[in-house]
Parts: sequence; structure tokens; C-alpha cells
Amino acid sequence: MKKTTQSILVALTILLATIQFNSVFAQGQGAAGRKADRDTRAWRYEVQCVGVGTDGTKLIKVFSYSKKADVAIEQAKKNAVHAMIFQGFVGNSGSGCPTQKPLTNNPGLEQEKIDFFDSFFADGGKYMKFVTVSGDGAVAAQDRMKVGKEYKIGVVVSVMYDQLRKDLEAAGIIRGLSSGF
Amino acid sequence: MKKIMIALCGLMLMGTTLSFGQAKKPTIMVLPSDLWCNTNGFMMEFDNQGTKVKIPNYKKAFQESSDLLNVISKINGMMAERGFPLKNAESALKTLEAESAENAMLTSKGGAGVSESPVDKLKKTAKADIIMQLTWTVNTTGPKKSITFNLQGLDSYTDKQIATAVGTGAPSFSAELPVLLEEAVLAHLDNFNTTLQAHFDDMFENGREIIVRIKKFDSWDGDLEKDYGGKELGDVIEDWMKANTVKGRFSTTDATESMMLFEQVRIPLYDASGKATDARGFCKDLQKTLSAPPYGIVNKLMMKGLGQATIVLGDK
Repeated sequence: MKKTTQSILVALTILLATIQFNSVFAQGQGAAGRKADRDTRAWRYEVQCVGVGTDGTKLIKVFSYSKKADVAIEQAKKNAVHAMIFQGFVGNSGSGCPTQKPLTNNPGLEQEKIDFFDSFFADGGKYMKFVTVSGDGAVAAQDRMKVGKEYKIGVVVSVMYDQLRKDLEAAGIIRGLSSGF
Repeated sequence: MKKIMIALCGLMLMGTTLSFGQAKKPTIMVLPSDLWCNTNGFMMEFDNQGTKVKIPNYKKAFQESSDLLNVISKINGMMAERGFPLKNAESALKTLEAESAENAMLTSKGGAGVSESPVDKLKKTAKADIIMQLTWTVNTTGPKKSITFNLQGLDSYTDKQIATAVGTGAPSFSAELPVLLEEAVLAHLDNFNTTLQAHFDDMFENGREIIVRIKKFDSWDGDLEKDYGGKELGDVIEDWMKANTVKGRFSTTDATESMMLFEQVRIPLYDASGKATDARGFCKDLQKTLSAPPYGIVNKLMMKGLGQATIVLGDK
């Protein structure tokens, strides 16, 4: 009987320790995630064109910053969509892709539609629908850099540009070519 | 019953208002540039009173260049996917030919043919409000090939370049020309559309940009310097333009006693009744003003597409 009680106590202790560890870890991820979101809003990322994507897509490399490498990799997707809408990206003559202008030419759009973009770019938000990480998120050695206390990580992602544009047009966030006609 | 009728009337009114809410949509057509036609041997030459003149032979280009067909087809497809289907130049040329043949054969029961003035004949060309002018050149460095691609959006009336996308693709050892061309279209069309969108946004904000010409028939004894209550007719027309353009925007490019040319004329997209309008609709009001007292000038209004109108004073 005593042995059984002891076993239950050990099991409970292990369970509680695991729960606590997970919650602390998640909190850490959350803080790093929130910092990464702030970086996204502050345009703290870099986008390079990798090549001309297939019909309706753009193939880009996004460099994101975080103390945690996995947060930076995950944030790359958000940054990629953010860049497509608000920033565009610089072309690469070697791969034949031209400089791409952003989907909106309204500099105040992010603030004007803040409610829409808050939920759009929330963790697990709709932005996920338009972006996929190439090569299962494998990061080339030269694209993983330690800058001060942070990692600067470059991930190649493919953005469903046409789908993103259509979705934003349908939501009335940007104007379509035939809007008003 | 009465309530149903009121509701129906309301719905009809709403429908009318909604149908007025759409501006006149410009037509767009892709055409190869003169440079491309010349480089690839698709030109025809004729003698214009002693001067050799070369003009592009579009029909021959469409019939003989599969690369051109592929590029135009890709652009047309991508634009249609964006909700902006384009006029197909090859089809437009065929329609023109068919219409000419039909007109030549058409007779009434009494034996009358279709009336066609020399101006009507001149106007029978494949046209669109915006021309997407296409040029590409193949660059060769040793075994490597690359494409320099240039797409220009040209306003048919103002002659302004309103959209552009230009660049050189990545050099390749193995890719075939059609693959390089498809890649060029994919790489550049989004940028072209972004600049075109900026043009449309500007149009919705500041009005449509048109050209207005005033001319006179030589049979008319008056001219644009004729005095009406202390003001010359030319000044009267300028005042009318100032009052009726968006924010008074227009430039008087040329003005003599027999002609006036107004460029960069910004006209509202809708008239006073909320109906979508164009250069012809805008100039109809000027035509009415000139026909009415104290001027009482008989005049003829001619138009070209959405963006060009000419008023000829002194006759119909």
C-alpha cells in the first residue's frame, strides 16, 4: 500500500514538473514571439528575391531576428506576407527577378485597417494560408548568423501572391484593377 | 399590395443608382512594338508621296510568330484572372476585316449601300484605350541566353506612358526561348499591374485625363477671336473649361484664331446626374453651350474612344 502511494506521488511530481516546464517554455516562446511580432511591425526583417516563382507565387528569402532560432524561422512566414503587402522586395539580377512593389501604395493602410491586420497577423492567423516554407524550413549554414544576443536567420518561403491579393481585394483592404469600373 | 409596389420601386431605384456607380472601363490591348516588329521582319513598306514609310504588319506577326502568340496569350490569361480581360488584337483585326466585307456586301431592299465617310474609313483600326506595348530582345553571351523584357502601358489619347515593367531575366544555358519568355511575363506583369493600378487610383481621385480639340470649318465666317460681350470666343471656351474640369485642371497647349488644343484636361468620371461619362459626354455640354445664345454657333462633335473629343465650329 505504502509502495503504491509512493509510486503515485512520484508520478504526480513528474507530471507537475512536466506541466510547469512546458508552461515556462511556452511563456518563453510567447515572449520571444511577441518580440518577433514587434519586430515585424517595426519592419525589422530583410527580404531578398530568390527566383521567379511559379504562376501566382513569389519565392523569397526572409531574414528574421530572434533570440530563439525556431521563433525566427516561424516569424519568417509572417514577415514574408507582411513584406508582400506593405514593403515589396528588392530584385536580384542574378536570379532574374525584378524589384517587386508592395500590394498597397497607401502608406497609412496598416494603421487605417489596424483591426483587420491585428487578426490577420495573429499567431495562427489567416496569413498562414498564403505562405509555405521551402525545403521544410531547412536553413543554410550561411543564413544562420549570431548577431549580438540574437539569431538572424534566413528562410526561403513561397508566398501565394495572387491568392493573397485576391483575399485582400475581397476583404476591401486593397483595390483590384477592375474596382470602380 | 401598395407596400410591395413601394418596395419594388425602391429596389429599382437602388439598381439604377448602383448601375450609375461604375465608371467607364477602359479597354486594353497588347500589341508588339514597332521596334520588335522591325527587328523580327514584320514591317510593310509603302511609298507616301515619295517618302518610304515603314509600318508594322501586325497580321503577319500574329500569323508567323508563335512566341508572340504565347506571350500575348499568357498576358491575356493573367489579366483576365485579375478581373480585367483584354481585347485580343488578332481577333480585333479579324473582326475589322469581316466587318469591311459585310459592309461592302450590305444593301437595302431598295439597293442602297452602307454610308461610310472618309473619316469613318480612317477610324477603322484595331484600337483600345490603353495599349500594352510589348518588346523583348534575346541577349546572347557565349552559350548563355537571357531575355530583356519591356512592357509599356500607353494611353491612346494623351500619349502618356501610364504603366511600365522592364528588366532582364537570369541568363540560362539550357532554357528554351518560350520558357524564358513565360518567366519574363511572370516576373514583370505584377509590377506592370501595380503601376497601372496607381494610374487608375489617380484617375478616380483627380478625374479622367483627356484631350479636347477645337477646330473650325473653313466655310464658317467666324473664328476663335470673334468678340462676344467683350470676350473672345477662345477665352469663353477656356472659362468654360476652368469651370467644368476637376479642380480647374487643364492646359491650353495651342491656341490660334482657327484652333485650340487642350491637354491634361481632367474630367469627372460621372456627370451631374451620376451617369458615367467620357470625353464625348463632357464635350457635349460645351457643344450645347456654344450652340445656345448668345453664341449660336452650329458645331460638330467627334470623339475617339474615352479620352479624345474634337469640336469643329461652323457647320455640322
